[in-house]
Amino acid sequence: MRLTPLALSVVTLGAWGLVLGVLSGRAELAIVVMPLLLGLLRIGRARAHPDWSLCRALSATRVFEGERVAVTVTVNATEPVPLLELFDPLPPSLRLVAGHNRGLFTLDRGRPVEWRYEVECVRRGRVSLGAVQASLWSRAGLEAAATSADAPAEIRVYPRPLPLRRLPGPRRMQAFVGNYVAPSVGEGLEPGDIRAFAPGDRVRHVNWRASLRFHELFVTRYHQERNADIVLMLDTLTEAGTPPATTLDASIRAAAALATGYLARKDRVGLIEYCGPFRWVRPGSGRAHHERLFEALLGADVMFSYVTQEVALVPRRILPPQALVIAISPLLDARFEKALVDLAARGFDLMVLSPSPIALVRSARRSAAADLACRLWALERRMRAAALQRLGMTIVDWDPDQPLEAALGASRASRRRAVAR
Amino acid sequence: MRRVATALALVAVSYPLVIAHSTAVVAVGAAALLVCVLGILVATHVLVGGMVLALVEYTLALWISGGPPRPAGAVCLGVVLLLLLEAAEFGRRAHGTALGPGVVPAQIRSWVLFGSITGMVALLASAAANAVSFAVRLPWAPAVAAAGAAVALVGVALALSARRSFSRD
Repeated sequence: MRLTPLALSVVTLGAWGLVLGVLSGRAELAIVVMPLLLGLLRIGRARAHPDWSLCRALSATRVFEGERVAVTVTVNATEPVPLLELFDPLPPSLRLVAGHNRGLFTLDRGRPVEWRYEVECVRRGRVSLGAVQASLWSRAGLEAAATSADAPAEIRVYPRPLPLRRLPGPRRMQAFVGNYVAPSVGEGLEPGDIRAFAPGDRVRHVNWRASLRFHELFVTRYHQERNADIVLMLDTLTEAGTPPATTLDASIRAAAALATGYLARKDRVGLIEYCGPFRWVRPGSGRAHHERLFEALLGADVMFSYVTQEVALVPRRILPPQALVIAISPLLDARFEKALVDLAARGFDLMVLSPSPIALVRSARRSAAADLACRLWALERRMRAAALQRLGMTIVDWDPDQPLEAALGASRASRRRAVAR
Repeated sequence: MRRVATALALVAVSYPLVIAHSTAVVAVGAAALLVCVLGILVATHVLVGGMVLALVEYTLALWISGGPPRPAGAVCLGVVLLLLLEAAEFGRRAHGTALGPGVVPAQIRSWVLFGSITGMVALLASAAANAVSFAVRLPWAPAVAAAGAAVALVGVALALSARRSFSRD
């Protein structure tokens, strides 16, 4: 145990009392300081290392951004502890919303004490709660000993998917059954055209109205319902803004929303993270794959690298030729733009969703010069987007403060025009 | 707990006014109360400054009144000053903290017990000192008192420094 500044304060006060007593020649001042000096006799009576332990329990270990987690710390001691101060430091991605992450307890032998507080998970990632810092105080507060107790716990904070009802439709379909009405005819629900009956046609496909009019049997043909391959290409080369509202955070939330939406439509969804080298998740479907994608998004972060890999290095099973590629990038790094040009040149159905960094920068720095710079930057971005559009890409400029649904809705018309051409 | 500390500061500052109600004592008392409250809110060092002002106020009151010694009042003031210091420090530690069950009652119990014991010991010691001073008449009494105070202070300082170096080891 070490002495605290309180002991020094008591001595200082005692000294002043004695000095004033000697100067004034009054005995009362010597009597006044007597309780203060007697209080110092308590030093050295507290036990330095009492036996105590703690365990930490979390209400949930897998949550989405914005959700709350209740942390319960149970402290137990095999001998009485006069005052135990505990401090559970929180990482920046957690925010205290209820209770306190600092506690002061008196422990009795074999009687556990429970301490509870709630945190809000503000940013995606693997959040580790490490050692709890502890200070053992004597009852008078004249002595203290610092220690810590390990109680490792991890919370996986997944990106919060943004609400999306309508998704950009792919131009090309795959062979598996899905929710898109394909141009090709075959088995399906959506009626296509009619043709004359041929041996082998099923009776339930006979179009009785046409047959009665033309006095000849006709059958209805149906459009096939197919799925599509969607590849989300995430730019993790750079980001702008401050956490938890960076362009990368917005990109990841958009990717989570798109992945959830397309997987609900039975499409196969893959993920390519471009951080100089490529990291990818092979296209797939189903709930297990949904979890796989979210795990990949959980670890996605900006990684500084001088490496620039060519898109040609990505295998066909990761980037199928018929896939709709949705690139999500703030378009801040020329390497990503080069990769986009490469993909467009290879004939991919390519759409670029660009969370604009300008609004984030403008909200962080408010001045006339910053405003002018942002306007120039916006013009430059518009010029670059136009250049990419001329290569056949659909560019969706998205202000992360606005709903993603609205930004994607504006792109639907331009994609339809492109299909018509 | 800060309210308790503020109440104790008020008691410590008001007692000298009972002894001598003069403008100078009131002025020093008001300053002491102000610094004490500031210290309770901000830092222990500031509180110690306020308590020193309260001692100055007490000395001034004793000097102005010039009556016979009041050992009981002095013991009470000493206990109040000690509890004020500890309560303010505890209040600072407990501020913005989840308090476990029984922390505050146990702390108050401890203060009441220690305050009573210390008060009684101090009263007995002052009575004994009074009896000794009547029995043995020392020449140069103020010089002996000053030397005794200095020896006591040095002793406390040495004991504390020895304790500190021991705990570092």
